[in-house]
Amino acid sequence: MNEYAVEHEISGHEPHWETSPWPLVLSMAMLFVFPFAFSLYFVYGKPIMAILSLGIGIPLTVLSVAGWISEGVGQTREPGYSVKAMPFFIVAEAFIFVAFFVGYWVMRLSASSWPPAGTPEIALTVPIIMTIVLVSSSFTIHLSEQKMEHGDRGGFLMWLIVTIILGTLFLGLSMNEYSHLFAEGFNFKTNAYSTAFFSITGFHASHVFVGIAMFICILIPALMGKMSKSFVKSASMYWHFVDIIWFFVVTQVYFWS
Amino acid sequence: MYATEEALRHKPGFGQTLREWIFTIDHKRIGILYLIGSLAAFAVAGLMALLIRIELGSLGPTLTSNPGTYNVWLYFHGAAMILAFQIPALTGFLANYLVPLMIGARDMAFPRLNALSLWLYWAGIILALLTFVIPDPPDVMWTGYPPYSLKTGGNTAFYVFTVHLMGFSSIVGGINLLTTIFYMRAPGLKLNKLNIFVWSTMGAFVLQLVFIPVLAAAVTTLLFDKYLGTHFYDPANGGDVLLYQNLFWFYSHPAVYVILLPTIGMIFDIVATFAKNRVFNYNMVVYGGIGGVVLMSGEVWIHHLFTSGMPDWIRIGMMISTLLISIPVGLLMIGLLGTLYRGAIQYTTPMLYAVGFIFLFLIGGLTGIPNAMTAIDLYIHDTHFVVAHFHYVMAVATTFAIFGSVYYLFPKMTGRMYSETLGKIGFFILFAGVNITFFTMFIVGFKGMPRRYYDYQQFPQLEGLHHIITIGAYIIGIAALLILISWIHGLIAGKKAPDNPWGSKSLEWTTSTPPPPGNFRELPILTEEWHPYGYGRSK
Repeated sequence: MNEYAVEHEISGHEPHWETSPWPLVLSMAMLFVFPFAFSLYFVYGKPIMAILSLGIGIPLTVLSVAGWISEGVGQTREPGYSVKAMPFFIVAEAFIFVAFFVGYWVMRLSASSWPPAGTPEIALTVPIIMTIVLVSSSFTIHLSEQKMEHGDRGGFLMWLIVTIILGTLFLGLSMNEYSHLFAEGFNFKTNAYSTAFFSITGFHASHVFVGIAMFICILIPALMGKMSKSFVKSASMYWHFVDIIWFFVVTQVYFWS
Repeated sequence: MYATEEALRHKPGFGQTLREWIFTIDHKRIGILYLIGSLAAFAVAGLMALLIRIELGSLGPTLTSNPGTYNVWLYFHGAAMILAFQIPALTGFLANYLVPLMIGARDMAFPRLNALSLWLYWAGIILALLTFVIPDPPDVMWTGYPPYSLKTGGNTAFYVFTVHLMGFSSIVGGINLLTTIFYMRAPGLKLNKLNIFVWSTMGAFVLQLVFIPVLAAAVTTLLFDKYLGTHFYDPANGGDVLLYQNLFWFYSHPAVYVILLPTIGMIFDIVATFAKNRVFNYNMVVYGGIGGVVLMSGEVWIHHLFTSGMPDWIRIGMMISTLLISIPVGLLMIGLLGTLYRGAIQYTTPMLYAVGFIFLFLIGGLTGIPNAMTAIDLYIHDTHFVVAHFHYVMAVATTFAIFGSVYYLFPKMTGRMYSETLGKIGFFILFAGVNITFFTMFIVGFKGMPRRYYDYQQFPQLEGLHHIITIGAYIIGIAALLILISWIHGLIAGKKAPDNPWGSKSLEWTTSTPPPPGNFRELPILTEEWHPYGYGRSK
């Protein structure tokens, strides 16, 4: 284990008080994007102010993430620690899903009849297509990783882009399904099933979104000739996790009814 | 490898110094910024406690005739003390400052992420402080139970996002620290030679990683229910109110151990240093005590819900598991007492706080036993007895450990010594104050005073005891001021501190005082004989 410490020591640089403004900027941006915008819109009913708050927060977020990456990609020494850290993050993420599923099971197992009144027929072909899309994206990111290991930059970039496209397709299918369900009058407020359905699938979709964002954060510096192998490996690990969670979502929320 | 002497002698200007502090990604400075934030939170939340006590000091409305205002004080006191003072002071300040030094690393694995968790925490503090400015502030205690939190006109969203920011900050910090401990130890530092504090921090962060997400999910669903109209906690539409209580305490009981573990780990380090003794039963403390607490912490949460309508078989089971968890905690206590036994004890200020911790924790722990027993708990649930119990066991004992650690690390952090006299005066006044306050609270609680009441017209006979509690609260306030003065005095007028004023064997004292960027002149390489508690028996 300790060889990491020793290796970094050899390639280490002159210690001084290191600084980076981006963590601070990102945290303050988070304040505007989430609590302020949400409260202004939902609690105080001021949509214009909420949009203003997002207008401050989102550019700051993008700016700080970009600044962070441009600092980090150049400095990270290989082998980086991010591959080692990602499993810890995945454990944490898994437990959020556990809690959501527990909420769903509690409502479901205590219900007298399931699905509750007001639930329309939910087509099962869409989730099958979504499963195929997501599973194949897991394969493509694996291919991309392998190409990277073999030093094939073109192949790496191509499969990475294919993965991003597949992920976006998945989100598009999900949005499309939502809009159909909304049109049929099935939304957050309908009943216990809609509560679980939209929170679990929506929460999973937000993870797909984060995964895509990670890939874009790898793609843009890679196009400019900078990349870190550990980032790629850990992002791909996260993507596989999102894929595995989807199996639970699909079996529990769609097919068990 | 090391900054040249010339570079060290170069004095940066004020602007540069400020930039180097605010944008810092160095673990020691981040640790100190955590400490500043948590002490600020302690001050404001402590002020809230004083307001609460003045309100309860005499019968009838005293400071406010609006129970809603009282609820906001309670909300702020509880949420800020736990989320913004204790957890950040232990897993933010102490873990950040000490762990890389104790394991002989130059910094954390992810210095920028470390800064991110610091500033997310500060964002949480900003949000908590906005409570006093915004219209309809949150008034849901620190628990946010539905259906009240869903029906209240208060801004529950602020509560939820405060929890999210602090929680995300802890998760990011936890990932960072676990990676650091596993992969960045100095060559030769085996796992069974880690300081107890490093072990206990590891345990605390394992708990954070597993349980915070559950709390995050619980409060998120609360947000969905209140503002998007979902039905997680709406029984009329197939939801379940008790689900929230279960999810909440599934995190919040282990959170007690997140607080307890680093606390007791720090006490081990202080006690071993000042008793000049090895840690008694090291393996049993680490694997039985810390490991046992980590393994069992997730199986006891129902004891918070004994009166919430749980089936009997769950209540009995959780009563037994709650009583069983006193075994690993007992192993930790035995370890502490064994370390003191036949030690060459020096009663410096940090040591006084450590000994005070042992006493207070014992009272808190023993009064936990009746609380754990369902039959007794049905009678004392939601009374001041419970309030006194958890203040002893986690609020006061932990605060003693935090203050003790600040004194212990004061020379290392600031390069100056604090005044022992001022430190000791502060300690004794604080010790008297907390015992007057919280021991009387046991009696009031046992006589039937419910918690969270802003007035007690039904119990006029308790007014005298409530007076005493309020006087105790004033004494605590005076002690806190004295402690602050002793730190400021040390900062301004303290003598210059040597590298290792306590004669400790642990790694953090081998570097210069205060430690330079990069921590060590040369990465320490540890011999077979070296041990952080390697004090010979002959001393």
